[in-house]
Amino acid sequence: MSVLPPDMDAAGFAAFLEELRGAVGADWVWSGDADMFPYRDSFSPVWNTDEERHASAAVAPENVEQVSAVVRIARKHRVPLYPISTGKNFGYGGPSPNVNGSVVLDLKRMNRVLEVNNERNYCLVEPGVSYFDLQRAVDETGNKVMLDCPDPGWGSPIGNSLERGVGYTMPHFRDHFGSHCGMEVVLPDGEIMRTGMGALPGSDTWHEYPYGFGPDPAGLFAQGNFGVVTKMGFRLMPMPEYYRTGLITVPRRRDFIKLVNHVNYLSDSGLIGEVEYGSALRALMGDRDFLALITKTGGPSDAEMDAAASAAGLPSWQVELQFFGPEKATLENWNYAKDRILSDIPGAAAVDGDHFTMPATEEQLNNTTQPWQTSIKRRRSLGVPSLGAWKIVRDDGHVGFFPVLPRTGEAVFEVQRVLGDAMKEFPSLPSYFNALSTPLFWHTHTFQMVFAPSIKHDDPEHNAITHASMKKCVAVAAEHGWGDYRAAPIYQDDVSDTYSFNNHILRRFHEQLKDSIDPDGIIAPGRGGIWPRRFRA
Amino acid sequence: MISRRDVIKWGAVAPAIAAGSQAAFAQAPQGLDAFMLDTRYVDSLPTEHAGIPAICFAGDVTKPWFDTLDPAWRQRGYVLGGITGSDALFVLQSLAQQQGRRVVSQTQLGEKDERGVYPVSWVIAPVHPSVTA
Repeated sequence: MSVLPPDMDAAGFAAFLEELRGAVGADWVWSGDADMFPYRDSFSPVWNTDEERHASAAVAPENVEQVSAVVRIARKHRVPLYPISTGKNFGYGGPSPNVNGSVVLDLKRMNRVLEVNNERNYCLVEPGVSYFDLQRAVDETGNKVMLDCPDPGWGSPIGNSLERGVGYTMPHFRDHFGSHCGMEVVLPDGEIMRTGMGALPGSDTWHEYPYGFGPDPAGLFAQGNFGVVTKMGFRLMPMPEYYRTGLITVPRRRDFIKLVNHVNYLSDSGLIGEVEYGSALRALMGDRDFLALITKTGGPSDAEMDAAASAAGLPSWQVELQFFGPEKATLENWNYAKDRILSDIPGAAAVDGDHFTMPATEEQLNNTTQPWQTSIKRRRSLGVPSLGAWKIVRDDGHVGFFPVLPRTGEAVFEVQRVLGDAMKEFPSLPSYFNALSTPLFWHTHTFQMVFAPSIKHDDPEHNAITHASMKKCVAVAAEHGWGDYRAAPIYQDDVSDTYSFNNHILRRFHEQLKDSIDPDGIIAPGRGGIWPRRFRA
Repeated sequence: MISRRDVIKWGAVAPAIAAGSQAAFAQAPQGLDAFMLDTRYVDSLPTEHAGIPAICFAGDVTKPWFDTLDPAWRQRGYVLGGITGSDALFVLQSLAQQQGRRVVSQTQLGEKDERGVYPVSWVIAPVHPSVTA
């Protein structure tokens, strides 16, 4: 489906493309259906509908000077650019833009790992570098640091962090934007800016001290549209000497509240990595009566759930803990965690899990020897990029809604009930929110829960249900103070609308900034719900 | 560059290979540089045919891609034929696109399972001038 940029005719578009070819070379500018197919969002619930967003062309510069040239050409012709790094943001829009006819600024050729520093534990990369590329560079420099990567790991550190993506190791590395330090940005007028210590000529601390002097604008470039990020530094964890796991179970439903508080303490004290909450009661979900109980409108009572657990001889909840560090330290931390939780929660039990010297062997990465049925995905837990997640993707993909909620057991129970009841409007969807749904402890200091309905390219009715349920989830969650953390372009306005304190002052502030530096909307208009004056009209 | 005749030939023999015919494997075309065989759909086969390596995996393409395909796709040429699940093909074609390659032929070989995944034969070939042979 060929489209043109906004306010542009075919002749103008041809002239624009010719200027792009002059800047980057004729082989690195694409248009036409066959070339643009990969820039569609293949996980889109509005696939092949009027709502689907299509790019008109794509351009792949080789370096920051070419990025600057492309931005200046786009500014001259008033053509919106949509920057992508590796374009693997599936579930959140993939490589597709907010505005029909945008030109994808594909940064895949800028794929150099510029530095891996094993003494000061950071790296500097370009946008086209994937986590696999970074892993190769780490391997080549002696495997002295450990990555923290998303799952799957084919995305880029820059793209993932700018989407505020997450990983699965220690708390201060899992928040990928939070673990960045220093960036280079091409602004909407083509100027090249460096943040923090990068603004000080001769500084050697760009990737160690993020702030420099004065206001730090780095946050504007995450889920924003104020520039094109062309370099970023990231902190890396020194390769831990040892890895250890353990399982804690608690018998009663309300025990979850105390369990969460203990895990919060362990995490905030830096004693544990990512945890996996779960429930052994999920084994009973094939039983129709039990399924009816956990999906009951208004939620089951604690007594009903405790009776079911007791009858099955199963604990109500469990948490898998992961420890990193020197061998003795991991053992002491595990012993401390056991003592702390088992002495406070009657009936709690602990099971020792796998433990081994790092880096892990291939067999250890395969995670087949845990003495319980584990939910830990060992590769991602140890920062090893993988594509294995695609074995669990259903149909033609999915979209994701991951509301941010307080790190308490009470909040988890409330989300189970509120969103469980709300989603009964869509009975064909799997039960994402029920009395056994557990939180994700991905971001460093908050919980999220998962809603990820599938899409099917050949089933528009199915996709329409997915689309409607996503919008309802966003709205109902926001009524209770739970906001989405990341969204595909087709949902970004819905999500932005929910962050409405003081008559949407946050969005109005962003719009004022956008109007002042990019009134024509050259950089990703609409991204993050931020529209420049030209498109607001 | 693989010839159209070889692409057609691969499309013709792939269903028989998927059905377990080693004789069909011997009929595979010479225009390919490697075969990707997903053991969820194809029984184990010789590790090569007429000097063309067969890369076997079970749904997760991480290791074959990281060890073999990614280095090969950084060079010019390299035509790959495969019989895999549609999920694995999605991953491979997404990675291939990043490196100037495209699925130039694909044929569904069976019905979708409960996850919506089905067996498919395909050819991925270089199309961008920076990687064509």
